[in-house]
Amino acid sequence: MSSLTAEKGQAPEAEILESHKKFIENKETSCKFSSLNEIGISQFEKLGFPGSKHEMFTFVNTKEITSSFSTPSNTEIDKDQVSKFVYSECEKSFLVLVDGKYREDLSVLSGVEGDVKIVVGGDAMDDPEVREYVESSTNSENDVFASINSAFRHDGLLIDVAPKTIMNSPIQILIISGGGDEKTESSRPWVLTKVGALAEAKIIVRYAGLNGNYFVNSVQDYLVGDGAGLELAHIETDNKSARNFSKTRLVLNRDSRFNGSNASYGTELTRCHMEVRLKSPGAEFRFNSVSVLEKTEQVHHYARIYHEAPQCVSAMHFKNIVNDQSRSSVDGTVIVEKDAQLTNSDQLINSLALSDNAHANSKPNLIINADDVKCTHGNTVGQIDEEQLFYLKARGLSESISKTLLTKSFAASIVETIAFPSVRKDVGNTLLKKLEANDD
Amino acid sequence: MLEIKDLRGGFEGNEIVKGISLNVNPGEIHAIMGPNGSGKSTLSKILAGHPIYEATGGTVTYKGKDLLDMDPEERALEGVFLGFQYPVEIPGVNNAEFLRMSYNALLVHKGEEEIDPLDFDEILDEKMKTVDMDSKYKDRFLNDGFSGGEKKKNEILQMAVLEPSLAILDETDSGLDIDALKTVANGVNRLFNKDRALIVITHYQRLLDYIKPHFVHVFSDGKIVKTGGKELALDLEKNGYDQYVVSEN
Repeated sequence: MSSLTAEKGQAPEAEILESHKKFIENKETSCKFSSLNEIGISQFEKLGFPGSKHEMFTFVNTKEITSSFSTPSNTEIDKDQVSKFVYSECEKSFLVLVDGKYREDLSVLSGVEGDVKIVVGGDAMDDPEVREYVESSTNSENDVFASINSAFRHDGLLIDVAPKTIMNSPIQILIISGGGDEKTESSRPWVLTKVGALAEAKIIVRYAGLNGNYFVNSVQDYLVGDGAGLELAHIETDNKSARNFSKTRLVLNRDSRFNGSNASYGTELTRCHMEVRLKSPGAEFRFNSVSVLEKTEQVHHYARIYHEAPQCVSAMHFKNIVNDQSRSSVDGTVIVEKDAQLTNSDQLINSLALSDNAHANSKPNLIINADDVKCTHGNTVGQIDEEQLFYLKARGLSESISKTLLTKSFAASIVETIAFPSVRKDVGNTLLKKLEANDD
Repeated sequence: MLEIKDLRGGFEGNEIVKGISLNVNPGEIHAIMGPNGSGKSTLSKILAGHPIYEATGGTVTYKGKDLLDMDPEERALEGVFLGFQYPVEIPGVNNAEFLRMSYNALLVHKGEEEIDPLDFDEILDEKMKTVDMDSKYKDRFLNDGFSGGEKKKNEILQMAVLEPSLAILDETDSGLDIDALKTVANGVNRLFNKDRALIVITHYQRLLDYIKPHFVHVFSDGKIVKTGGKELALDLEKNGYDQYVVSEN
């Protein structure tokens, strides 16, 4: 494994600390991020680089990224290259981050409706609520990769949706990685979306890559105000040889609603960590996720849902299809705090293994400290259902058509929950095409 | 059309069908009755080619061909239809699209061209009326969340679309209220003609008030223990199966 910055055999901790020193010395950051950078690096030192025995990375081989921490060189990209990643709903409302840096020249904001402010870079930290939240969450961050993101934060976006603003069409955040031949470049995008009280926001986050190898290590924060709603699609369409780690922190206030979907097109290593806090009564969190993996692709989900107040609802449904030697894992825990009476929570993980060498791991957990709650969790890992297969064949469909139809149908029930038609169509076409390619 | 000779079979090494012989000709309706566990459903699954069920002896000839040698999809394309006792739910597969794929597979098998979605929609609308099915079920996922009655109607709808030569209806009446039963029976009767044959498997005589069989066979312990006309069904209703049931000892 080659490295631009690490000496052979150097521990990742030392490499990261050394890079951070240079990062500070070279003044690569805005002074508005400097206290956050300090909090991030000290949190990183506390947490250390995780090995395979780390509870949070049981299914994820972090060795793959031990020398992937150099800053990307300047990526050349033009508008035409960007446009192919833009969904049709968002042609006039998309924000582009390239290697973690906001690119005003490539972004289009003319279609952004209502009172929505876009704040770039360190200026986002001028908002006291944002600063307080970002610094305190970084201080208590338990995901070392999110702390690395904060330690090296130099740019980012704040999307501030004013109270009572109704967004009829979505804003797309396009996180592009330039990539290169060496597996050493790492970008650290950050986006915070603040949805004011009684506002309705729609956001699509899409990851994409230009060339070969890169490690995109992003953090996204969503603060959803009282009575507000947020519709989110989180779509990972990275290059196959990319590594994508994301941390999503979501705070839901009184009577707020979150409806999210996630689709992974498959990379060498993708990890999504979701931390959700249902902070006040009546908050509702719904999340569906689908991935179709082949060859040696890997997608890992790690979710922690904290019910901190009474009468909140959470529902998660994951579906993963694994073929060849691919791997998926879902490690999901719902934590119901003592005061969170009348919690209603469902968690379901369904995995479909199409080959004997594919792996699908599931770890659904519940920790309940309240006594009047309704919580379910379920998990299935299986192959194609023989009864369903026979049913289709008994109606004259061939074995291979029946199998394709069944694997497609397995994915389709999640794909159809995606709120945005062009995203739904693209996810459907791409994932379902992958299943056709696997047809015998 | 169908000649079953001394058929034996079951699943996981258990012989459940223990030597059945039955001839079914075009224009005939055969009812198979019998208590639970007598092998009625096993026979239907062996005939349709369910992979778990295996024929261990005897022969089945359908239109001169060895039926047991065919894959399930081949049997379907050759005109054998199994109406499932418990239709399988397949979330994610659109009901109308599935029916069109199935219909097209049949057309291709016959050497004809596939039909386009719009033309098929017309056929489907027409067929749905015959089984009194709301058009909203076209866009639903296959049997997903359907009531028991709607699932059985959907089976009959599939039969109406595919127009099989030989239909085997496995307890199509179970779990239906009387209105749904009448609708299903009407749908079946409408399809039946002198070129087609029907095997109706049922636990209750009630269905045979609406679908009139030419022959009634009583199953017990994997064998046909009595064959008669439709009056046999009435006798069973009145006097029960016990008189025909073969003791295992």
